Amino acid sequence: MSEKVYGGKCTSCGTVNYPRRHVCSNCRNETFEPVPIEGEGEVLTFSDVYALAIDYETRYLRLAIVGLDSGIRVTGQLLDDEPKLGKRVKTTIGVVRVQGGREIHGLQFVPA
Amino acid sequence: MKPVYIAGAGMTRFGRSEWSLIKLASVASLAAIHHAKLGDVPIDSVVVANMGAARVNKQTALGSALVDQLALYPAMAEAVENGPASGASAFKVGCQAIASGMADVVLVTGVERMRVVNGLEGTDFVASLSHPEVEYIYGVTLPSLAGMFTRMVMDRFGVERKHLAMVAIKNHENGAKNPYAHIQQTVTMEGILTAPEAVVNNPPIAEPLHLFDCCPVSDGAASVVLVSQAVAEKLGGPRVRVAGIGQATDTHAVHEREDPTDLKAVRLASEKAFSMAGKAPGDVDVAELHDAFTILEIAESEAAGFFPRGEGHLALDRGETKLDGTLPINPSGGLKAKGHPVGATGVAHLVELTWQLRGEADARQVKDAKVAYACNFGGFGNNVVATVLEREAA
Repeated sequence: MSEKVYGGKCTSCGTVNYPRRHVCSNCRNETFEPVPIEGEGEVLTFSDVYALAIDYETRYLRLAIVGLDSGIRVTGQLLDDEPKLGKRVKTTIGVVRVQGGREIHGLQFVPA
Repeated sequence: MKPVYIAGAGMTRFGRSEWSLIKLASVASLAAIHHAKLGDVPIDSVVVANMGAARVNKQTALGSALVDQLALYPAMAEAVENGPASGASAFKVGCQAIASGMADVVLVTGVERMRVVNGLEGTDFVASLSHPEVEYIYGVTLPSLAGMFTRMVMDRFGVERKHLAMVAIKNHENGAKNPYAHIQQTVTMEGILTAPEAVVNNPPIAEPLHLFDCCPVSDGAASVVLVSQAVAEKLGGPRVRVAGIGQATDTHAVHEREDPTDLKAVRLASEKAFSMAGKAPGDVDVAELHDAFTILEIAESEAAGFFPRGEGHLALDRGETKLDGTLPINPSGGLKAKGHPVGATGVAHLVELTWQLRGEADARQVKDAKVAYACNFGGFGNNVVATVLEREAA
């Protein structure tokens, strides 16, 4: 799959802002270059969500916040049957939501 | 800044209501106006707090709508939307009008009528406050953010599910004494945690949070009348002064916070409110916290400065936050039992605290309360308003 998720790397201080924003949260610079958000990291937290958001027809959704080795933290869907805090995972891109027939791609995490 | 007083407070019972949005707002407003014994003192300005009417009730411009219902023309009027912190934000806007001298009497009314849509639609309307690109698209909802937050806090500070249950049990106990509460029923540790049937009574919502860790979805309205010193003196009656207000923001996406278990905006907003009031957390006699999820009462009680970091659950263990404890938290029943009509919640906190400071809280009255604190938690902690109220000798 060619789709990627991007953060904005500040052209002045190098901080990767994810989500991307108009002003760097570290140095207030206003220019960025896109960098893909990907790689390995560890599960900082996760939750099996039964009170599902609209658009989902599964029994539950396993969401996680992962701390990537690059120092960026990200939210995404955890595809792991044995989730554990601190477990090593890597990012992949998949369909994370289908809204009105439109597939939305985003970050998923699988065991590293 | 000129001093600001709360002259009257009123609300509807929270729960499922057949009343229209504007009827809810009108009934709460009239209760506050009558409580203030305003008589023929004119209302200069009306501020309505609401989050979802444009979407779930197909109604906008609520300030104008309420002015019309109460025949308050040509009063100034507007609505304030700040997610779940809309209530205290609207209150702040009302206080600013009086503090600046622009108004002498302001009606602040929070209202939400969200049970008109189904659960999925209701959850989605609140989830729309999450970051659209890095949270919402993954199926993030408020319970899911709270679930992920809870797992981190449990792991780091030794909070257990029994502590979460203790928040629910305490708040339901208080709610059972509050005729305005959505749920007026007590629950037990056996019923929601330790008995075999607890897994049926208390199913998971967003692990490790279960049904009884989450507030209900409610309709309702709450209202206060704010007045200047001159009007307060004219009206007589008990004096509740707005001693301090603080507000602080944090990153939109929860994952971006340096320490996602640190409720930094609660900490900063509270410090500002206490500093403005010239008070310390130890001066507070009663507090209303934003327990949309049980974990939040514990975490906010620490971030507000009542207990050291990581020790809020120990205070629960010691019973300090019960109605007869050293710092009663959520005597109203909290969002957990009183209910959470989103836009009304921040105002309802201040309604309860006004009644507490005036000694009018009946069966749930905190003895001799003089200083009160409220925390209205917006987003998932990205916009927080803290308020300190004080009873003044007449």
